[in-house]
Amino acid sequence: MPDQTDQHLAAFNALDLSCSELFDEVPCWISIQDREFRVVKASRKLIEDFGEHRLQACYKAYKGRTEPCAECAVVHTFEDGKDHTSQEVLFDKRGLPHSVMVNTRALQNRAGEIVAVSKVFADISSEKELMNRLRDSLVRFHNLFDNAPCFITVQDRKFRIVEANRRFEEGFGDGLGTRCYETYKKRQDRCPKCPVAETFADGQVHTSEEFFVDDHARQVHVLVYTAPIRDATGEITSVMEMATDVTEIRTLQNKLANLGQLVGGIAHGAKNILEGLRGGVYIVNLGFRDNNQEDIRTGWDMVQRNVGRLSSVIMDMLHCARERSPRQLPVSLPDLLKEVLTLFAPRAAEFRIKLEAEADAAVEILGEPKDIHSLFSNLVTNAIEACNADQNDQKINRIVARVFQELDAAVIEVEDNGAGMDVATREALFKGIVSTKGNAGTGLGLLMSQKVVTEHGGSITVRSELGQGSVFTVRLPLRRQADFSSGEVQHGN
Amino acid sequence: MATSPKKKILVVDDEKDICIYLSRLFQENGFSVTCAANGDEALQAIEQDRPDLVTLDLSMPETTGVKFYRAIKSSPDLASIPVVFVTGVTGPGGPRDTEHFYSTRKQVPPPDGFVAKPIDPEEMLALAKKLTSGTRDKTATIGSIN
Repeated sequence: MPDQTDQHLAAFNALDLSCSELFDEVPCWISIQDREFRVVKASRKLIEDFGEHRLQACYKAYKGRTEPCAECAVVHTFEDGKDHTSQEVLFDKRGLPHSVMVNTRALQNRAGEIVAVSKVFADISSEKELMNRLRDSLVRFHNLFDNAPCFITVQDRKFRIVEANRRFEEGFGDGLGTRCYETYKKRQDRCPKCPVAETFADGQVHTSEEFFVDDHARQVHVLVYTAPIRDATGEITSVMEMATDVTEIRTLQNKLANLGQLVGGIAHGAKNILEGLRGGVYIVNLGFRDNNQEDIRTGWDMVQRNVGRLSSVIMDMLHCARERSPRQLPVSLPDLLKEVLTLFAPRAAEFRIKLEAEADAAVEILGEPKDIHSLFSNLVTNAIEACNADQNDQKINRIVARVFQELDAAVIEVEDNGAGMDVATREALFKGIVSTKGNAGTGLGLLMSQKVVTEHGGSITVRSELGQGSVFTVRLPLRRQADFSSGEVQHGN
Repeated sequence: MATSPKKKILVVDDEKDICIYLSRLFQENGFSVTCAANGDEALQAIEQDRPDLVTLDLSMPETTGVKFYRAIKSSPDLASIPVVFVTGVTGPGGPRDTEHFYSTRKQVPPPDGFVAKPIDPEEMLALAKKLTSGTRDKTATIGSIN
C-alpha cells in the first residue's frame, strides 16, 4: 500500500527534527518507527551495528521474525501516548544477540497526533550476564546449603533459627522461628557456653563439641562450627552454625580405646595367672623332690586356682566375642540364686565373708540359663573381691544376694559392704577397663555381665560409695503368664 | 664355723599365688621371707622386720606400689633398703603405674632392680643374691640422694 506509506512518511517528515544531526551523532541505538513498526529513521550507531533497515519492520530487521512480537512497547505507546519499557533480545548484523532495555516515547505532529514512536535501546547484555551468573550462584549456594551432609542453621541474636537446610529439617523438623536450644537440646533456656553467642560477641569462628537430641529422641554427638554473617556495613546480623554428626566416629573411637585398655587388662591379668601356674608347678616339683605332701598340696591348689581363673577369663572372652541371641528358656531365679550361693559358700567362708540370700518364691524369666548363671556368678565374685579389698579390719564383711519382683521386672540384686568405688571408677564401669581387684581382675566380668543383661532385654545399674560398699541391680523382663506354655523351668548350667 | 643369718626379703604383691611362689623360691635358695598384700601391710612389715631386700609389685589396689616406694625412700631409716620393682607392665607409655613412676622419678631415686612378669626365677634369684650379698653400700648411696 504505497499510498498509506507515503502518507506516514509525509507525516513523519513534517515533524520538527531540527536536531537531526544530533540524533545521528548520539552513540546509542535509537530508531523511530511508524504504526506499521517500520524503521523510518535510525541513529548512525544503530545502522553501524545492526545494518541499514530503513522502512523494514523492526521485528524483521532486528529479530529476524516474520510476525510482530506478542508484546510490543511501540504498540502500547501508539495506543496510549505514554512512555513504555520492555526487555528484548536483538540480533546485530553479525547475528550476535544483544539483551536490550527498550524505552519508547510518542512523537506528535503539530496537531498533537502521534505519527511515530522513538525507541531507545540500552544494551544490558553484560548486566544480563551478571544476573544469570548471580542466579546460577544462588541455585548453587542453595544446593550446597541444602545438600551439605551436616545440620546448618542461620541464627539471629536471640538464637532464633531464621534459615535451616534440608538435613536439619530431616533431623529436627520445621524448626524455623524456634530457638536453637529448644530445637537442638530440648532445653527451656540457653546453654551456658554457646559458640553462637561467642561469634556474635567477637566475630570469630568458634567450635564446640555437643550433644543434640533429634526428633526421634536419639542423642546426636556433633562437632559445631559457627561463623559470622555480616551486612554491607560489616555489622554482624546473624551467625551460621554448622553441626556435623560425629556420633558413629566417636562411638567407634570409644570402642577402640576401650578395646585397647581391655586387651591391656587381659594381658596383665594373664601374666599373673601364668605366674600363679608356674609358681604352683614349682612348688609341686619341690614337694615331689622332698616328698613333702604340704608343698604338693599348696602347689596343686595354686595350679587348680589359676586354671580356674584362666578358664573364667577365656569363657568371658568367648562370651564377649559371641554374636548370637540367647535361647528363651524358663529360668527360676530363686533356684539359681541358691545354686550360685552354694557354689560360692566355701570361698566366702575362706575369707570370713557372710553370704546371705533373700528370695521371693517364684520369680522367673525367659533366657539362657548358662548366661544368667554366669551373670550371677560374676556379680557374687565381684562382691567377694570387693570385700577382700576392704581395708577396714573392724568391719564384718557381708554379701546379700536378692531376687524379687518389681512391677514387670525380675530383679537380681547383689549388695556388699566391701571397699566400694569412687565416682570415676563407677562411671568407667561396664567399659571393660575397670578392675577394683588389683591384679586379680581383667575387667572382663562386668563387660560380660552387661552383655548378658542387654541380650536379655534388661538393664544393670550400680550404687556405690568408697569405703561403704556397692549394690549391683539387674532388672530383667519377668516371665509373663502367656509364656508359661514354653516348657520346663530350668536353672543353672 | 657359725652360719651367717639368713638374709630377709619382703615380698609385696596383692596376688596371693605370686607371694607363695616367690616365698618358696627365695626360701629354697636360703632367704627368709615375709609377705605383704598391699602397701599398708608392707609399711608395717618393713618397719618391723627391716628386710635386706624388698620385691615390690607396682600395680596394687589401695596404697599402690609406687606410693609405698615413695614412702620408704623418703624415710631416713628405710631409704637404704634395696627395692626391686616387679610388674606386668614394662616400659613407659604402658598403664599408669609405671608411667606415674617415670614421671615422678625426679623426686625418688630409681629402683635397684626391675623384674618383669612373667618372672624369670634365675634372673630374680641372681638379682636378689647380688643386692643382698654385700653390705648396704650401694643402697646407702641411693639413700643419701634424698
